[in-house]
Amino acid sequence: MKLIRQYLQSLLNAKKLLIFTFLASFALYIYSPFMMVLLKSVGKGWFGKLWVPPTLTLDWYDWAWTVGQVPEITKNTMTIAAMAVVMSTLIGIPTGWALGRRRVPGKEVLMSIILLPRMIPPIAYALGVARIFYRLDLIDKHYGVALAHLAICAPYAILVLSSTFEGLDERVLEASSVCGANPVRTFFHVILPMVLPGILSAMIFTFVTSYNELTLTLMTYGVHTQTLPVRTYLAVGEGYWEVTSAMSVLLIIPSLVVLFLIQREVAPEKLVGGFKGV
Amino acid sequence: MGDFLRRQRQGVLTLLMLSPGLAGFLGLFFYPMLVTIVRSLRPEGQDVGWTVASYIEFLSKPGSRGVIVLTFALAIASTFLSVLLSVPLALILREKLRGHRFFRFTILIPITLPGLVGALGLLVFYGSRGWINLFVTQILHLEKLNINYTIPGLIIFYLWHYFPYTALTTLSTLEGLDRSVEEAAAVSGATPWQVLRHVVLPLIMPGVLAGSVLTFMAAFGSFSIPLVAGGNYRPLSVAIYTQIQSFTPARWSMGSAMSVVMAILQVIFLSVYMRVLRRPVA
Repeated sequence: MKLIRQYLQSLLNAKKLLIFTFLASFALYIYSPFMMVLLKSVGKGWFGKLWVPPTLTLDWYDWAWTVGQVPEITKNTMTIAAMAVVMSTLIGIPTGWALGRRRVPGKEVLMSIILLPRMIPPIAYALGVARIFYRLDLIDKHYGVALAHLAICAPYAILVLSSTFEGLDERVLEASSVCGANPVRTFFHVILPMVLPGILSAMIFTFVTSYNELTLTLMTYGVHTQTLPVRTYLAVGEGYWEVTSAMSVLLIIPSLVVLFLIQREVAPEKLVGGFKGV
Repeated sequence: MGDFLRRQRQGVLTLLMLSPGLAGFLGLFFYPMLVTIVRSLRPEGQDVGWTVASYIEFLSKPGSRGVIVLTFALAIASTFLSVLLSVPLALILREKLRGHRFFRFTILIPITLPGLVGALGLLVFYGSRGWINLFVTQILHLEKLNINYTIPGLIIFYLWHYFPYTALTTLSTLEGLDRSVEEAAAVSGATPWQVLRHVVLPLIMPGVLAGSVLTFMAAFGSFSIPLVAGGNYRPLSVAIYTQIQSFTPARWSMGSAMSVVMAILQVIFLSVYMRVLRRPVA
């Protein structure tokens, strides 16, 4: 009896060890690139068979700041992302409301049509976008790049917002009007507080999408509208890995903030959600 | 009569509300796609005339089949591996062990932070002077591994970047599962393994597959990772970009023809995948 219990105990320990190893290697797998970028960005003379850089320096950050033009590129990226977020939200609110709460014939089909730009790889229509934007002189303009981002940001906003609006409880709205609130009051005091988290999460997700977007940006950017991903891509080609790493570290910071927001404010499943039914 | 008018007015209002979304779709996806298709049917460098020369050239080139096979191989391999990684991960995280929040947070990292930075770090980590090779040569005393710019290396990078879609859907499906079903199976005398094999896995499989579609879509269209870390291996997306970037004058018709082929392949594969998915799981 004791033997059996010991055997079971060791089996349990083995399982624990297995789980621990699995989780540890998983974490290593995910975090390793960032560890390396971080080390690379502060290391000097890190060559040969060394595990960590021999001397630490902040020179690369200085380079990134001045030569790499990080402040200007951050400004570009933020401006473009902000424009894309505002435009997608302005598109997403009415269209999401119609799809979520109103009678629309062929709603399912319409929804999948609107989501099509996210299913077809952007590179497949990026050439068309580039040609149209050349013709309309939208290349190398902040609003032009933001407009290109809208192709993949807007469907996301519509998706998240329509599911938010769909989740509104009709009875609460009725209760509000029964209690004598006029539509304006109902909107500001009942509907808005209820949908605000949804709008916020739509904005966060479109921001992330625009902030990380490379394909459509490469087709529409110019000297004045370099964004973070474009700059990183060009820097990799130029081969200054230390400076590129320093730049990457600086440019990750906003995404980290967003990541914490997502973790705290909204369910992470929503980041991929909505496609579940496809 | 008044009812009819009101309904009509409601319809117009709905249409008005839908119009921003539809305008965005038409202007930023449908029209560019149309322009791409038209361009692909023009002779290279000319704006008049119709021809399918670009398609014939692309599809008959010996390298093209390699490009298409590579694109599919990378996408399928990383999707398959993402399922293998996500199911055990989700099963562990479901138990809400100490620190499970940290790992949930970890899953989000690859899709929230810029993919290029990830690719850069992966290149350093798996590079000839990176930690993996230091571990292999200095601790295991083995031959140096070549990971960067190889197909297995690319699959490692793809998996890193695209597994979260599968993992998040798997996790949320698993957490939506009614535990009493498993308990019933266990009470009826099923071993934990049998419960997993015959109860849990069949129940979560639809969710897992739905998540894996997302991973597949993202991996199939992946651009930034093969662009930076692909080396001589160019999947369709990078091959298209090369037509525009590396040729002077840029080969717009060729690039457009490849884009159309890519879009068609994606749609075909997705519809097959959906059909398989819709089939009731035995």
